[in-house]
Amino acid sequence: MTDYGQDLLFGTFITPTAQPAHQAVELAVVADRAGLDLATFQDHPYLPKFHDTWTLLSYAAARTSTIRLSGNVLSLPLRQPAVLARSHASLDRLTGGRIELGLGAGAFWDGIEAMGARRLTAGQSVDALGEAIEVIRAVWAAGEPGPVHVPGEYYQVDGLKRGPAPAHDMSIWVGAYKPRMLRLIGRAADGVLPSLSYLAGGPGDYAEINRHIDGSAAEAGRDPARIRRLLNINGTFSQFGRSFLDGPAEQWAEDLAGLALEHGISAFILATDDPAAIEEFAADVAPAVRELVAAERA
Amino acid sequence: MTHRLRFGALVTSVAGARRAEELGYDLVAVPDTPDTDTWTLLAWIAGHTERIGLAATGLDVAQREPAVLARAAASLDLLSGGRLDLALTGDHLGEVTAIVRGVLDAGVPGPLRHLGAHHRVPKAQRGPLPAHRIPIWLTGADPDSLRLAGSTADAWVADLALIDAAELAAAYKMIDEAAAEAGREPEEIRRILIIGPGLGPDELLALGADTFLVDAGDPPPLTPWQTLREAPGPAVFRPASVRAKRRPGIDYDAIPASLAGTAVEPGDLDYARVRSTYMRGGSPGLVLRPRTTAEVVDALAVVRAHPGVPFGLRSAGHGVSGRSTNDGGIVISLAAMNTVEILDKSRRLIRVGPGARWMDVARAIGPHGWALSSGDYGGVGVGGLATAGGVGWLARKHGLTIDHLHAVEVVLADGTVVRASAGENTDLFWAVRGAGANFGVVTSFEFEVYEVGDVGFAQLVVAADDPADLLVKWGRAIEAAPRDVSGQLIMGPPRPGQPAFAQLMAVVDNDDPETIIDQLQPIAAVAPLYQQQVTLTPYTAVISNAADGGYHQGAGEPISRSGLIEHLTPAFARAVAELLDSGAVHWFQIRTVGGAVADVPAGETAYAHRDANFSVIVMGADKQRVDAAWAGLQPHFQGLYLSFETGLSSVEDAFPPATLARLRDLKHRYDPDNLFRDNFNIKAATR
Repeated sequence: MTDYGQDLLFGTFITPTAQPAHQAVELAVVADRAGLDLATFQDHPYLPKFHDTWTLLSYAAARTSTIRLSGNVLSLPLRQPAVLARSHASLDRLTGGRIELGLGAGAFWDGIEAMGARRLTAGQSVDALGEAIEVIRAVWAAGEPGPVHVPGEYYQVDGLKRGPAPAHDMSIWVGAYKPRMLRLIGRAADGVLPSLSYLAGGPGDYAEINRHIDGSAAEAGRDPARIRRLLNINGTFSQFGRSFLDGPAEQWAEDLAGLALEHGISAFILATDDPAAIEEFAADVAPAVRELVAAERA
Repeated sequence: MTHRLRFGALVTSVAGARRAEELGYDLVAVPDTPDTDTWTLLAWIAGHTERIGLAATGLDVAQREPAVLARAAASLDLLSGGRLDLALTGDHLGEVTAIVRGVLDAGVPGPLRHLGAHHRVPKAQRGPLPAHRIPIWLTGADPDSLRLAGSTADAWVADLALIDAAELAAAYKMIDEAAAEAGREPEEIRRILIIGPGLGPDELLALGADTFLVDAGDPPPLTPWQTLREAPGPAVFRPASVRAKRRPGIDYDAIPASLAGTAVEPGDLDYARVRSTYMRGGSPGLVLRPRTTAEVVDALAVVRAHPGVPFGLRSAGHGVSGRSTNDGGIVISLAAMNTVEILDKSRRLIRVGPGARWMDVARAIGPHGWALSSGDYGGVGVGGLATAGGVGWLARKHGLTIDHLHAVEVVLADGTVVRASAGENTDLFWAVRGAGANFGVVTSFEFEVYEVGDVGFAQLVVAADDPADLLVKWGRAIEAAPRDVSGQLIMGPPRPGQPAFAQLMAVVDNDDPETIIDQLQPIAAVAPLYQQQVTLTPYTAVISNAADGGYHQGAGEPISRSGLIEHLTPAFARAVAELLDSGAVHWFQIRTVGGAVADVPAGETAYAHRDANFSVIVMGADKQRVDAAWAGLQPHFQGLYLSFETGLSSVEDAFPPATLARLRDLKHRYDPDNLFRDNFNIKAATR
């Protein structure tokens, strides 16, 4: 049993489809009205069937009022770290602190390369992500003296003016599955954001994710309990319970409470473009999970 | 003046942008500030405004891969409803502009490849297609920048705080020269000028710019410049490069003002959205997009002025037989006339525009517990289907779509607008219901719809090792089934090494699960079941099977044959088995008609083959092979349904003799010059 005691977040993982142009925005509005905590969008800049994620997210932020927004996750190879830092800090200030930074080292390298970026090996991409986090945090540290200097191998920043600082203590959540990236998260990031559908062994694989992050955090002198464990989930609401996340809302609540208590997962992000599913997740699942977890923790 | 004068405001906040919008400014521009990412602020402002144009005074192109910048621009343009201008600053802007334009030009086939000295884009997919052609602004008063602006930009921006009038005039001259050298017209490059608030109208006019961005903190009222804002300008400016793609034989300059703003020609960005239809690639020379009946009248005048030029009429562009696109001709697209109104709730009377799609209709009337059977696909447009027949998911219970038509408004070939119903212009009303494409443009349809609760929707996959046996049994089961049941059967050519199968689909217009199962049982029993799925669902869900958004990208020319038949006899079924065996067709479908369709006397509408119980459709790639295979089926048919027949010559099969004779008389009366001809064309009777 691993429970880091973190507050629970519930969110949506919305397809950033470009046609119809407002579909993704409307789903974010549904999630906002339903009271979910997070609206998140995947980022595949090489695919023209999707919106540019940052543009969509900024526009959706303007159309929502309380929900927090983040990429899930932004493709670092096609997004410069200093620009990520400034754009996130800017939108965080405009929204009064509703933005988090979801970041990934890059998947689908054929597409990335086709757009004009450099292809990296898996190992290189972890190092690049580490440097990017360094740049981002340095830009955000508006109060620190002097400009930003990060003489990295993948990113060279020399003399960039710091700032703006985000309006709140913005989290960097990283999409990750493998040990090197997980260890980087333990050292330098604020959360891990895998997708359940990519966990070959199912939710049980989270134990291994936690082991790497916790070990590396401890080595770096960081408190593992401050690193958020997020999970993209998908499932089906059905009348009768059939299997994991396929059943009525009460069963979903038990399934997710189990993950929270067993693996310390504290953010559940539902992949769906169905407004009814978003509403059911917000109205019937989220409060029930919170209740079950609170009862267990008490 | 080539361009209408525009006024913009420099703003750094939503409050400023909203103020500018209220004051009637044409656009806002966001300057670069150290504290806020410009692009983010622009998207944020877009989400907080409704109408006003959006620009930055300059985006540093070093901050993003140019291909990513292009996608971001397309997104913001789509999200904001076509309000974006893109101002670029930085290095290698010629290359960046080429990449951005290449990505945005989604109508160009193949990926974008740009291997420049400074930027390499090996093979970026193009798109998304923005909502409008996003103008690219360049800046910089040095000779290189001015030459680049003249040769490639859509606009050049300068700040009157940094340049005096004489320097500005010299810069404009250099842009003009560079434009001429590049084969462009000087008017292609709009002149954008950042000004302070104090200048009067005459001073502004003397500067020679066409867009003024007022830099004054809070945007001031536009009153001092009101006279300039009222000066008229052309609806659309098309540069020479766009006009060069025009087709011969079309008088583009004669398009009336009512249609010029929405018309699309081959060089336009929107051309990719309107050139092709669902199954057919097209290259029309002009697409007119009327929004009202009056504009349809204007559009038909354009068509009349172009005798001999192909003319296609399009509602939503799904049509297989209807030539709703062409090569070098005129198309009237009715897509904008897509309203669905409830006219009288107690009588369930609705009025629908020809450009609405049937899933739009279902969504609008479904909440009232109503439905109107149309075809089997929600992306089909109202106009084409409701002037041909309409063989849909509820046909056996409720008849054809045209059987619920109450009245139509029609624009005739000579531009006259008439109403036709059971009580007025009854001949025309008769003709519109089955042969409407020959008689005019129906601009609105009034239907009396009916109540439909949840329905049973069955999707079965059955063995088809003996297709002839399957067809005969399925045909009998359908004919014996209660009228609640309508449906279809789909088969393809045999696939080597794989079992033959057929898809059987059915809708049962009944909301009782047990009744649904009872009624489906005999159909499911016609052959061994491989898969089955039966759901109880609103009719709206059954018909909402097309995507929203996007546009047709059909290519080539479909080959489709249609036949109407009373019974699926063993002899017919054997002929079908041979046709499938030939491999000449990749699509074989039978839809159920009969039932309530046959309750209407044959003479009541121009759709006359009322006793057919089945509508048979095949599609293939090779016309000769399809025809050879189809010949074996032909003797069994009593007619055809014109919406599914791409061979338009067989008018005698589409209409029985008495019907055709009456149609010819009416064609003589309503369209003697045969304006409406790119369809199943009825020759006017000679007098």
